[in-house]
Amino acid sequence: MQFAAGAVGGTLLTPLPWKLADDSAVWSQNWSWRPSPERGEITKVPSVCTLCAGGCGIQARIVNGHRAILIEGNPANPVNEGSVCALATSALQFLYAPYRVAQPLKQTKKRGDKTGFQAISWEQAQTELSKKLEEIRVEGPQSLACITSSRRSSMDDLWAQFLTAFGSPNLFKMPSQCDSSRTAAQLTTGNASPFAFDLENAGYVLSFGASLLDGCAASSRASGALRRWKKDRYPVKIVQVESRCSITASKADTFLPINPGTEAALAMGIAHLMVNGANYDAYFVKNNVFGFEDWTDANGKKRQGFKNLVASSAYSPEQVAKITGLEAAKIREVAKEFASQPKALAVWGTGRADISNNTYHELVFVALNALKGNLKPSGLIAVAPKVPLSDLLPQKDILSENASQHPRLDLAKAQSCPCPQNGLYGFLDAIASGPKYPIKLLMVHEANPAHCLPENKLFMTAAEKVATLVSFSSYMDDTALLSDYILPNHMALERFDDVIGVPGAPYGYYAVSSPILKPLLDTKHTGEVLMKLASTLGGTVASSIPWKSYEDFLKFRVEGIAKAKTGAIIDKPIDISSIKAGDPVTPNYSDGADLFKKLKAGTCWHDAPTGVTFDKTSSGKLELACQSIGKGTQATDDVIYLPHFSPLKPSGSESEWPLLLVGYSIPQVSCGYLANPPFMNKLVPDSVLMGNELFVDLNPQTAASLGITQGDLVMVKTTQGEASAKANVTPAARPGVLYIPRGMGHKAYDEYIENKGVNACNLMEVQLDPVSGMGTVWATRAQLRRV
Amino acid sequence: MSEKGHAQSNIRLGMVIDLDKCTGCGACSTACQAENNISYRPDESQKLRSITWMNIYQLDNKKAYPDFKIAFLPRPCMHCDADHHSPCTFVCPVNATTRDENNGLVTHIYPRCIGCRYCMVACPYHARSFNWWDPTWPKQMESMLSPEVSPRMRGVVEKCTFCHHRYNKARAKASVDGTDPNKAIYTPACADACPTKAITFGNLLDEKSEVAKLSKDPRAFRILEKLKTKPKVYYLSKQDWIRNLADNSLT
Amino acid sequence: MKEEKTSASGKVVGTLLFVLGFAGAMVLGWVVFPNLLYSQKVQPLNFSHAAHRDNDCDSCHKFRPDGTYAGIPKISNCKECHESAQGSSEAERILVEEYVAKDREIPWLVYARQPDNVFFSHAPHKGKQIECVRCHRDVAKEEKLPPLREDRITGYSMTTMEMTECEKCHAERGASNNCEVCHK
Repeated sequence: MQFAAGAVGGTLLTPLPWKLADDSAVWSQNWSWRPSPERGEITKVPSVCTLCAGGCGIQARIVNGHRAILIEGNPANPVNEGSVCALATSALQFLYAPYRVAQPLKQTKKRGDKTGFQAISWEQAQTELSKKLEEIRVEGPQSLACITSSRRSSMDDLWAQFLTAFGSPNLFKMPSQCDSSRTAAQLTTGNASPFAFDLENAGYVLSFGASLLDGCAASSRASGALRRWKKDRYPVKIVQVESRCSITASKADTFLPINPGTEAALAMGIAHLMVNGANYDAYFVKNNVFGFEDWTDANGKKRQGFKNLVASSAYSPEQVAKITGLEAAKIREVAKEFASQPKALAVWGTGRADISNNTYHELVFVALNALKGNLKPSGLIAVAPKVPLSDLLPQKDILSENASQHPRLDLAKAQSCPCPQNGLYGFLDAIASGPKYPIKLLMVHEANPAHCLPENKLFMTAAEKVATLVSFSSYMDDTALLSDYILPNHMALERFDDVIGVPGAPYGYYAVSSPILKPLLDTKHTGEVLMKLASTLGGTVASSIPWKSYEDFLKFRVEGIAKAKTGAIIDKPIDISSIKAGDPVTPNYSDGADLFKKLKAGTCWHDAPTGVTFDKTSSGKLELACQSIGKGTQATDDVIYLPHFSPLKPSGSESEWPLLLVGYSIPQVSCGYLANPPFMNKLVPDSVLMGNELFVDLNPQTAASLGITQGDLVMVKTTQGEASAKANVTPAARPGVLYIPRGMGHKAYDEYIENKGVNACNLMEVQLDPVSGMGTVWATRAQLRRV
Repeated sequence: MSEKGHAQSNIRLGMVIDLDKCTGCGACSTACQAENNISYRPDESQKLRSITWMNIYQLDNKKAYPDFKIAFLPRPCMHCDADHHSPCTFVCPVNATTRDENNGLVTHIYPRCIGCRYCMVACPYHARSFNWWDPTWPKQMESMLSPEVSPRMRGVVEKCTFCHHRYNKARAKASVDGTDPNKAIYTPACADACPTKAITFGNLLDEKSEVAKLSKDPRAFRILEKLKTKPKVYYLSKQDWIRNLADNSLT
Repeated sequence: MKEEKTSASGKVVGTLLFVLGFAGAMVLGWVVFPNLLYSQKVQPLNFSHAAHRDNDCDSCHKFRPDGTYAGIPKISNCKECHESAQGSSEAERILVEEYVAKDREIPWLVYARQPDNVFFSHAPHKGKQIECVRCHRDVAKEEKLPPLREDRITGYSMTTMEMTECEKCHAERGASNNCEVCHK
């Protein structure tokens, strides 16, 4: 008793009870299973983002040299000026993604079976692949094909080098609006380089469907332009022409709601008023434009010029009003504004610029800008300048010479288009419908055509006919899942890469993306895999690709810039849009090695805009009458040479399919090669995705006529397929049109991505452009019913 | 909290967001998530359960096509500067959330929070989120957690801190550099990221600062001003319908 | 009388028992308990601060340019002098062979590690002329690193400063005691 009392008394005088009480309080706040982020020195490593084509300068925060925790903008980069987009801030979620492919895999079961992948060594992967290549090379090297990313980088040139030396013409890029822009530039100016816009210096912007702020490629530059347009004093007027009340439309000062796909008709209508009112740059047109007036072709036949075509009553405001759904008075008003504003610029686009456009419509927009004099040497429109990188000169041998008898598969058809370009759709179509020769090995690099190619079933059907499908993806994406082999590339932040030009920018731009970290997994740079395969194949393939590492290859390319002695490094903040065409830019690097060293450290190279020249066309002028379109045909209709409104009719009848389905993009959803990362999932509005249900937007009028109310489960059926979704009844939608967000509905990756919503590409119809043979998308006939 | 502490200092950290420049791209929000170790779940479509410090609301003018217009309103914590207390600090029974009268930051300390969620009810801006579950990340993704912000635990409330850890760092750097820590400036992750540079941050009491000038711009307004919570986040817009939605016209 | 005696001796016994209990508890509380509560962890190799007395504290424990404190130096710092062995002790051999040669960081145990939700910067404290020994043990003449004594319940080091101590000093010196000054 007393002992206990003594013990209690004594204990109370020791730290024991108090310490225990305190410790248990502290313990209760310790959640040991909560991760404790490693501490240490935080450094900033500059690099350049290659997740999209935009070419933004970034810097990564790295803990103790081995753990990346944040991607920020690099203030010294002129493209993004220190800012950064939602995708780039989420870049580390791709680096540390659970769905990354950790080592080479080989499918041992049926294609598409996740459980069938067996880990193999790099040695085995490369040996098996080079064995297949050797066989193909003997049997007919044209049976090798590759689909690569639409982003412009030196990897394109390495692929081209590899395939050319190997003997195959079948290299395709994922579609991009740059393709059709390049076609238009080639036809009108003779330059095989897409058009570029001086957005920052425009005084009035008339945008024909360009999704400048709805997640377009190179969004950082568009954002920078918006910031300049929305300045306090004398803000720049923005006019958006589109069918849906998009973000760009809401930010615009004027929104011109039109029937989907009729933007070019409106442009023709505006041109009509300018020409008939003699309210255009007659001096520029007279001296620099061919085909404005009536013209005579090579056979001496007199043909109609653009002037008489556009001035005809077919493009009167009343006619155009009928096509577009706008009021004639509104068309007159905009035409007057556009014609009278001294720095008015017409820009155009196809949503997020990941699909090519109707060539004639591209030409219409060029013509409209020509009337405005925007293609003058100091004008608002130029062609993207060529970056003087070292050229690659493939060495051909007998085997590859033989292959030249086998033209590219999309061109091997009986009837081909007059101005063939990146014919990915024609290629896939050819494989699916019995090709001239088989494709035995298809390599897919930095692309996910199984998901993000509109009318993706074309790819699926084609893939089934290909004996071996190899993916070089860093991730277990929809296409990798279908592959026989996956040879995982380093993730974009772990490897050397480069950015050749900013899409749509008039200035010269080149940047090297250096790794921010050592590779985390057993992956290999695809460029270096190609180098290894080339050296195994030996002969001219090996001698065409002599580099040992991708860094060496880039060094070689950069030498070309140093030899040309043009442009300069930017290593501190400057306003690049203030540099005009012809402004002197003095090189601030001593030689190629110095230039590469500076680029490797996260700076970028730039050069003044080069404007646009017409010396490569046969007339030496800007050609609005594109003579090459009619080459080889006995064209009777003069209009085929000229820019005109030429919609491609979607299949299906209007009575059976009363609605139009249009895909749209939002900046909160990544819809290219990369799937939406978890960070961006938080941004996706609940009017786009709820649980796993995707919403399609429809106007209250449309909804009422179909007896549909907000949130109803509906079945969307198009001529291409059907899917169940939920109805989002919103005045953002044009009556009679259904809008479906793109980028959802993945069937691969992990629980954060898989099975969320519907893939819009399953429902979209692609039509081949008659001039370029490239796939274009604008609307698909559809029906909708409540379930 | 104390009256005597209020308004003594000459630092009031605040933010101005230009809604006419905001495109709703979400870069501020993702930058915030990366900077502040905000957890995520496979399904983030239930917005009431989704934890976001910088939430982006989509506003619309309620008109029919084609006069329909949308706008975006990024909403961080307003760090209310109402007299004596902010709505949330007043109701906290355990002093887990308090206002620093030296700079106006409304702070929230996780281990002290008992998860009663009174503050969430009190906040008129829905700026606070509750951890219904233990935050979990796919194992590999734990590598990208920042050591500068502590990961939260189940059962506590969290909200935007104006990246005060960056403020602490800037002050520490000032100490080392031998400059006045009270003049230290920093930008939160959201303002750094914004592609249109719509977000301006700084000391509202420093007359020369950009943020002070913009907060007095004729286009400036605050949300729910009638509640007299005195938010330190100002918005700019020329468009009346946006300003009306903010309840600015009601007195 | 007898009863009184008994009760007197009982009292003595009682007192004895009480003292015994008291003493036992004291021993338990002051000696046994701390030894039970704290584990002893030995550093990966010994470091003699005394042997490095020629240098200032700052030459190894320095601030980074961004104002953060580097704390325990990295192996690169050791390498400056210890590229090759500077003596024949066992610690020297481990240092050079296991760490310097292999360019591996030494997994030092930190005596003053604060939990994740604490922000502590040495910079303002240093600026206020507060001596290192105000918070850290005096290492000037220390030949052998003491073992790290880790609380088995909380996982904290015995020498981790507690919040009350921070607050007390802040209050005395008029420094802010607002939450976000020290928490993150």
